[in-house]
Amino acid sequence: MSKAKKRIPAILICIGTAALVYFAGYIPFYTYQEEVLHTTQEQFFSADHLVKLLPFVIIVLLAAACILILLQIREFAAWKRKDDKRYRRLKTKPKGSKVIGQKRSVFMTVRWCCMIVFSLLVMFGGIVLGFHLAGIAFPVLACPTNLDQMVESSCYFLAHIPALFEEYSAGGIILFFVSTIGFAVLLGRVICGFLCPMGLIQDIMDKIRQKSGTEGIRMNEKRHNLLKPVKWLLVFLMLGITFAGGEFCSFCPALATSPVLAGLSVSLYLSGFMMIFVLVSSFFKRRFWCSICPMGLLIGLTHKISPFRIKKDVQSCTECGACYEACPMGVKIIYTEREKSDVTDMNCIMCGECIRKCPEDNALAMTFAGKTLFRASRKQILSGFENRKAQKGGDVQ
Amino acid sequence: MNAADLHEQEKRKRQEERFRNKMTKTSARYLRRMEELKGAPDSLAPFLQTLRRVYLEMENPLADQEKPIVGTYCVMAPQELIYAAGAVPVKLCSGSYTAFSIGDDIVPRDACPLVKAVAGFQDMELMPIYRDCSLMAVPITCDCKKKIVELLEKTHDVYPLQVPVSREDEDVDQYVEELYGFMDRLEELTGREITWDHLAKGMNIVGRSRYELSRFLELKKSMPYLMKGTHILAVMNAAAYLPADVWAGYMHELNEELTVKVRERQRAVSRDLPRIMVTGSPLVFPNMKIPLLIEEMGGILAADETCMGERGMSDPAVVVDKSFDGMIRALANQAVRPCSCPTFVNNKERIFRIRQMIEDYRIQGVIYHVLRGCLVYDFEYKLIEEELGRMGIPVIRLESDYNEEDVEQLRIRIEAFIELIKLKEQNNGNVQAGRNEGGM
Ligand code: SF4
Ligand code: SF4
Ligand code: SF4
Ligand code: SF4
Ligand code: SF4
Repeated sequence: MSKAKKRIPAILICIGTAALVYFAGYIPFYTYQEEVLHTTQEQFFSADHLVKLLPFVIIVLLAAACILILLQIREFAAWKRKDDKRYRRLKTKPKGSKVIGQKRSVFMTVRWCCMIVFSLLVMFGGIVLGFHLAGIAFPVLACPTNLDQMVESSCYFLAHIPALFEEYSAGGIILFFVSTIGFAVLLGRVICGFLCPMGLIQDIMDKIRQKSGTEGIRMNEKRHNLLKPVKWLLVFLMLGITFAGGEFCSFCPALATSPVLAGLSVSLYLSGFMMIFVLVSSFFKRRFWCSICPMGLLIGLTHKISPFRIKKDVQSCTECGACYEACPMGVKIIYTEREKSDVTDMNCIMCGECIRKCPEDNALAMTFAGKTLFRASRKQILSGFENRKAQKGGDVQ
Repeated sequence: MNAADLHEQEKRKRQEERFRNKMTKTSARYLRRMEELKGAPDSLAPFLQTLRRVYLEMENPLADQEKPIVGTYCVMAPQELIYAAGAVPVKLCSGSYTAFSIGDDIVPRDACPLVKAVAGFQDMELMPIYRDCSLMAVPITCDCKKKIVELLEKTHDVYPLQVPVSREDEDVDQYVEELYGFMDRLEELTGREITWDHLAKGMNIVGRSRYELSRFLELKKSMPYLMKGTHILAVMNAAAYLPADVWAGYMHELNEELTVKVRERQRAVSRDLPRIMVTGSPLVFPNMKIPLLIEEMGGILAADETCMGERGMSDPAVVVDKSFDGMIRALANQAVRPCSCPTFVNNKERIFRIRQMIEDYRIQGVIYHVLRGCLVYDFEYKLIEEELGRMGIPVIRLESDYNEEDVEQLRIRIEAFIELIKLKEQNNGNVQAGRNEGGM
């Protein structure tokens, strides 16, 4: 009985999500009379482009307003109960000092560069550099409604399977599936950690929060598991809603990124609101959208065979839990595992955060086909202290 | 004042005098033995000097800080928070035989000697580091620590910290809240609000000492006979009575010296002695009989997995989220999760830690130290023994108390253990040699 009761919220959330996706097209955010899905180089570099960014600007402003309001509400709720310790901890912010931690690691620099370069390329590359890769589909949430993308993203046809068979020749269909599955197997969710523009946007939101010293919301594995039904539901909706006459793209937040940023006139329906949701949620919880992203889940299905792996030296691990605390996807086995040396999880986006925060030499590592790309090291964890002369006193006044 | 009172006072005075005498003498004896042990680096001096100041000259090395002093009884009370509040921490777990003998009459016979020593110091009110504490933080890690709170409350403000019994997500969350409570108490004490910046500075101060320690461990791993374990214990014990930045400064000097030694392959001992590791109940100055015996009988204490030794400070607090709450979480996480203290219900991680240390420091034998009455450590002996048996590493369990009655017995057992390791090595060597010949 109690078990059934516990399911009720999950069931309600699922029904709500399904309804939202189905009726997404009836909730306008910013619409154009006439949609333009192409742009030329001239238009791209004209002032008109800036005007076309308006919906995105609105989204960002609304998201910022939402965040500020939520922060106020949270502070107020804590203030109502003054004895609650939360109030003060929400109030105190960095004023000039910093926690000495680690120096920037090469791995993370590479990751950020990859995200930025790929995002720019995939969004604007086609317009600026021309199309050479047409027909190849890449499984990522960089919206191909922007027809001028460098490479086709698989999600459009995955959300419109009938259209795939109508529009493409047999060869095209084969190329679509081969390239989609090929990339998914070869790269796995490295796509999420290194390439996806939606991932980049969310990581930026997290950076902003951390810089401002604002308290986020921590999600442990249990809370992540609560999202599991929603995640799977979204996959089925993405693949199937088109057969029921729905339109997944009216729901998908990614519609508000690539096409809008490229200066196209795309009508946004629920997508606009979803994008606000993505920005706000990822401000409080890093990569929140990725925990329910259907595209990410599909890519993650290859985690058993993908050559990118997270490896663990189960002996040198001290179960300090730093990796688990750091993981934006709530993967717990990286911390608890004591037998298998392979801890690649379906939800792992290969962001390397766990490895960067692991204080034990070699306890965690990322490998590609057996070659180590990045490994944990105590030295790296405390590298911020290098070359700082141990000074006597005077540090705390 | 009547005669009876006067008599009482006289008696007390004499008792105090005796206590002072006995304690400084015992401490001096152990300190001398530590100094006489050959192969110490020059930069060891300030650490030994600290122990001398605390136990022989009965000074308080923290007095010149002019800040409130907060005593702690376990590594799970985060020092970072204490610094952040504008106070200085001192670790009060003690190994004093003299205080133990007084505490013996105060607490139950079966209580552990560490708690007896604490009770003894408490009763005598002579040690400045105890006397000068404005607050004592006692993480409740075992029954003795729980009950000692009442005793300490007679003379001090005490804050019991409720340590969770396991390390699940909820437990860490609970300890985070516990730390917030502790923070409130600290602020009350110092009258200073802990802001983000204060906390960050607290983290940095302790972080630097952890950095120097990790450098030290790195050096030690690179050369097994770099320094004697007894001396390392002096270094780690001194950390209890020094502000973290001062200790880090001394450590820095030591590391510089050892770096040169590693480069020039200067070892603390000339021959390859059996490498022994101690794990189990804490080894606190002046209770140095076991490490001293190991190294006086021809072994080397190559690693220790005890709380007043390397383990207590070696795990860094990893800040994952730079908000205020994120830092507190890092502290709670660091206190609870990597801590291989047997107070937790499931402590399998200790076995892995010991295995890793055996590999890192090429350990040949393990001494399992149990303070009489320290049940949690005694419980885990069986588990560790089985595991080490599987690995083919000899292990003995040494139970000891805070007195010198058992020294002869310990000496015999340690000597036999060292011989056993040597014999085993020889046999291994012979087998290897035999194999080599056979192969040719
Ligand atoms: S709206 Fe979303 S699902 Fe649709 S094509 Fe764009 S990114 Fe893909
Ligand atoms: S989970 Fe989805 S949104 Fe997140 S990075 Fe992967 S593809 Fe992009
Ligand atoms: S397991 Fe590690 S690499 Fe994977 S998502 Fe978590 S932090 Fe990133
Ligand atoms: S951070 Fe490293 S040492 Fe800590 S639990 Fe994770 S793998 Fe183990
Ligand atoms: S042995 Fe346990 S109780 Fe004692 S100091 Fe260490 S962690 Fe604390």
